[in-house]
Amino acid sequence: MSQILQRLVPATVLLALVCAVAATAQTVDLESQVQEFTLDNGMRFLVLEDHSVPVFSFRTVVRVGSANEVRGITGLSHVLEHMAFKGTSVIGTKNIKKEREAMAREDAAFAALKAERNKGVNADPEKLAALEEAFTAAKDVAREFVVSNQYGEIVEQNGGVGMNASTWTDYTQYFYSMPSNRLELWAYLEGSRMQDIVLREFYTEKDGPVTEERRMRVDNSPMGKLFMEQYQNLAFEANGYHHSTIGYMSDLNNISRADGRAYYDKHYIGPNITVAVVGDVDFAQVKAYAEKYFEGVPGGEPEEMETFEPDQLGEKRLVMKQDAQPLLLVGYKIEGINHPDWPVYQAIADILGQGRTSRLYTRAVKQDQKAVQCAAFPGFPGVLYRNSLLVLGIPAKDVTAAELEDVVLDEIDRLVEGGATAEELAGVKRRAKANFVRGLEGNDGLASQLAMTQAMTGDWRNVFREVDKMDAVTLEDIQRVAKTIFTETNRTVAMSEKQAS
Amino acid sequence: MKTKRSALVLLFGCLLLSGLMTATATAKEPWEKIKIPALNAFQMPAYERVELPNGMVLYLAEDHTLPLIELSATIRVGSLYDPADKLGLASMTGSVLRTGGAGERTGDDIDALVESRGLVVESYAGTGTGGAYVSCLDEDLDLGLALLADMLMRPRFAEDKIELAKQEQKASISRRNDETMSIAMREAPKALYGADHPLARYPEYDTVAAVTRDDMVAFHADYYGPDRTYLVAIGDFDTAAMKARIAQAFADWAPARKPLPADPEVPWHGRTVNVASKDGLTQAIVLLGHRGIRNDHPDYAALSVAAEILGGGFNSRLFKEIRSNQGLAYAVGAAPGTGWRFPGMFMAYTMTKNETVEEAAKGILAEIDRMLREPVSAAELQFAKDLILNSEVFDYDSKREVMDRLVTLEMYGYQPDFLQAYQAAVKALTPADILAAVQAAWKPEDLTFMVVGTPSEFDGDLSTFGTVNQIDITIPAPTPQLVIPAATPESLARGMELMKNLRDQTGGKAYAGIKSLHEVSEMTVQSPMGPLAITLDSTVQLPDRLRMVTKLPFGEQVMVVKGNQGWAKGMGQSQDLDAAQAQELLAQFTSDTKFLLGRLQDHEFQALEPMEIAGKTCNPVAFRKGDETTIYFLDAENGLLVMTQEPAVNQMTGSPVTQKAYVKAYGELGGIKLPVAVTITQDDEDFAEVVVKTFERNPTVDAALFEK
Repeated sequence: MSQILQRLVPATVLLALVCAVAATAQTVDLESQVQEFTLDNGMRFLVLEDHSVPVFSFRTVVRVGSANEVRGITGLSHVLEHMAFKGTSVIGTKNIKKEREAMAREDAAFAALKAERNKGVNADPEKLAALEEAFTAAKDVAREFVVSNQYGEIVEQNGGVGMNASTWTDYTQYFYSMPSNRLELWAYLEGSRMQDIVLREFYTEKDGPVTEERRMRVDNSPMGKLFMEQYQNLAFEANGYHHSTIGYMSDLNNISRADGRAYYDKHYIGPNITVAVVGDVDFAQVKAYAEKYFEGVPGGEPEEMETFEPDQLGEKRLVMKQDAQPLLLVGYKIEGINHPDWPVYQAIADILGQGRTSRLYTRAVKQDQKAVQCAAFPGFPGVLYRNSLLVLGIPAKDVTAAELEDVVLDEIDRLVEGGATAEELAGVKRRAKANFVRGLEGNDGLASQLAMTQAMTGDWRNVFREVDKMDAVTLEDIQRVAKTIFTETNRTVAMSEKQAS
Repeated sequence: MKTKRSALVLLFGCLLLSGLMTATATAKEPWEKIKIPALNAFQMPAYERVELPNGMVLYLAEDHTLPLIELSATIRVGSLYDPADKLGLASMTGSVLRTGGAGERTGDDIDALVESRGLVVESYAGTGTGGAYVSCLDEDLDLGLALLADMLMRPRFAEDKIELAKQEQKASISRRNDETMSIAMREAPKALYGADHPLARYPEYDTVAAVTRDDMVAFHADYYGPDRTYLVAIGDFDTAAMKARIAQAFADWAPARKPLPADPEVPWHGRTVNVASKDGLTQAIVLLGHRGIRNDHPDYAALSVAAEILGGGFNSRLFKEIRSNQGLAYAVGAAPGTGWRFPGMFMAYTMTKNETVEEAAKGILAEIDRMLREPVSAAELQFAKDLILNSEVFDYDSKREVMDRLVTLEMYGYQPDFLQAYQAAVKALTPADILAAVQAAWKPEDLTFMVVGTPSEFDGDLSTFGTVNQIDITIPAPTPQLVIPAATPESLARGMELMKNLRDQTGGKAYAGIKSLHEVSEMTVQSPMGPLAITLDSTVQLPDRLRMVTKLPFGEQVMVVKGNQGWAKGMGQSQDLDAAQAQELLAQFTSDTKFLLGRLQDHEFQALEPMEIAGKTCNPVAFRKGDETTIYFLDAENGLLVMTQEPAVNQMTGSPVTQKAYVKAYGELGGIKLPVAVTITQDDEDFAEVVVKTFERNPTVDAALFEK
């Protein structure tokens, strides 16, 4: 019986399985099949073999994200994610020596331009134009040495699928799947970008695609603007969640390649990196290739975070005006994923706003018809540090965000006063089991769960502990935590109301 | 009827060989020196295809790794079959199959079952296909099958869940202009195929509101049936036993009432340049497209590969040029425009700042032109082949994916080995093949532009690409639903007050003194032959004289009423009217608002709840004539008439319609403030424009006008 086939069964079906006592005996103990090793540089590998289809998936999670950024370099974690597709000193270059020289001249031209530009109204327009021209010329020279997109090409040419990466507040992750006969090639490719990145096309990339990505995800997206920028700015003032992962436009303009290099050297170090490989691979072989291709990643000490979000002393509120239908966010500060109350936050969010039988859906959508969607979840915009348990409401037609807020607050009050029912809590626990199995679907899903849990909690085994932790939550826990977090002073409300432009 | 296929072993060794050969030929880079061993052989999952006596087609694949069963039905039903005035019907029917309950159970019962038994139960309908899905433990198979059969055969369509589905539709309509990408994806097919094409239609508030439970019941009976249903079963079962159980569960299912409608043609359109503007954007979407091909087109492989080279992945020309080299965009790419059922849309797109819209569009066109001018390089082609052939194993790594593909192939008339044939065709492609294929299929001069952005910021007005059409994306407001409750003394008093105010605002005593009227109007009427210019010259003398001259482009008609007599003459013919006809014709004139306002005290007027008409808050007043009701919508601010709504008969079709006359302009004529420009609609379709040229109150009337 192959494990991969079990995992390929859509997770939704597995929900049925975990709910059935009769069937639980047949679930395979995945935990005992996960093998791991750590390289001398501190880099952690997690491997799960499954030979039913000759493919494998991997997930590299680097413990660096926008929460690590300080003022002046917001958006840099994400820029580096883009740079990780630009190649190495071997891949993507026609002549690395000459290319580095050209890049140095490019850097000098950028520094001169930036200095003049940042004089603002006092900048000399003629000088600015000349510096702009010189910078463009320097970029053009450097580009002469670039073999465009060669890194991605190699992956695609070798049958890699689903190649992508993402950056968020707490992490940067890289992933794709490959035919399993390309394991060594993969190790070479992934290992080299974790240690030998060349920040080529740095300025073109951040001023072009990265800036356009900001325009797409934030500036021109009503939801993105409210969620990723306005809410974060409002709710978090001290910790790294106060700015969006995409970064401020002025920082994107000002970041230099030297900033990027320093940031990469600081964070792309062994102890910050976890790689999970799942599929038709041999553990010993993964280990051998890892030792060959990843040993060069430097070791070091991860950065200690020192600024923590203080308690909020009064409600924060923002009514954003934009030419779009209304949206509602109601958030309450909660502690991070490694706090013992985390499963209680999850239970509360589930009871309030997950699924067709949740309180907010039943009341706001089905009963009052004030919303077409009303959901709650912990962990926005990150899980490592103090974050938000967030309610997201999409008002029904002709309903304002404020009207929907009344309904949401009423349901939250009801939970604080009356607590949850035993039946609701039992439902939460059943769904926790289902979600656990759902997360294990497919090679890629498993690799993601393992690597992410390791990176966020320090132990991949927590993947398999979540259900037990949820099982331990009591009705008293829910009442206690609800009373603590659902206070007016701990609340941040950000809504968007329509205003034609 | 059944066919059984033995498991097909797909060997990947041959593909690997081609990869190895290219690697060894040029191996000098470090990554090219890495050895790539042979890929393990992989088996196509075994399955059985069965056709039940009622026409339902089953695809069954056993999988005994877990005690689970997954049942997924695909039906050839969707919004393609929505009536034009009830768009949203299929989509809502598709979701209410589940939410509205089925068989003995309500939708809430099903929610509870999902909770307690760990079932998954869903239903939907899209554009061309709909479906229902159940997954369950094998011990719950009876329940799972019953739920699936109930949803498909015995939906309850509970009214409250229909209302909920309508709320969702309306909210989604209200939000459809919030994100620019959704505007572009919605408007592009309209520009290409026409707004009324079944592939380009979207629900509106009115079409959603018009859907009733009866419509859903009828739609379900008309279009859902075993004769067009494909059921995929995967899981822990014995195929023979499963066949029997499914056959039994669906044995009573009658075929759909209507035959499967023919698919609409997808027309070819020449270039149009369309801009949808939205203020305050900093990024625009540029989409260029024209009709593509069906997947059975002989050049399917060549055009797929060509689109990959043009705008597929990291290696594509558009990605390299527009994103990496020019830094104009984050999102850029091309789609081959292939489709299983309909030709797709060949397109290239990008999202770029307003200031580089033209530049990006020109960059895209230049890359398309280059594809048509010169053959792709051998390296590019090899790359694209490697990409497709080396990732072939991912086409077989999920049983569900394989089964769903088999259903798609059968539904749209393809051979089951389509994919293998495609791989072989890809392998054989040469640069010359690609060039010939794109030259035959891609017509850059016909590429239609859909641009969404803030045009005042654009680097050009796009006229270099053709005449620019401004697309109006305003969401049509719902037509208010008029409710006429029973009259009360208050509503009648208020109605009279409003009408008196209208009278006093526009002519006062002048109305009561009307003895005769002479009026000349010019009308432009929408007719099946196109716009028709008509001049109406009418003279009325109370109590019982009328002469109306109708001038048409092709002749003139005169109608006269004199007491109980009357006659019509025109275009070489002459006819006398009987007394009833004469009186009816006269009544049409003397019941006109102008005469009515002169004798308000003879009638009853009922005030209704205020509502919005043409952007103005109006006080509606109902006036009953026999069993017909005319409603005057009076501007709440100035008391003037905004619109008159009344039942009428369409002159062309003879069918009853709701006619609305919107006042566009007032003028002072003959001592009365009079609507002098009016737009008339019938069932909310434009019908006529009327302009009053002459209006005389109490003119001297020559008695000879009414003589034969």
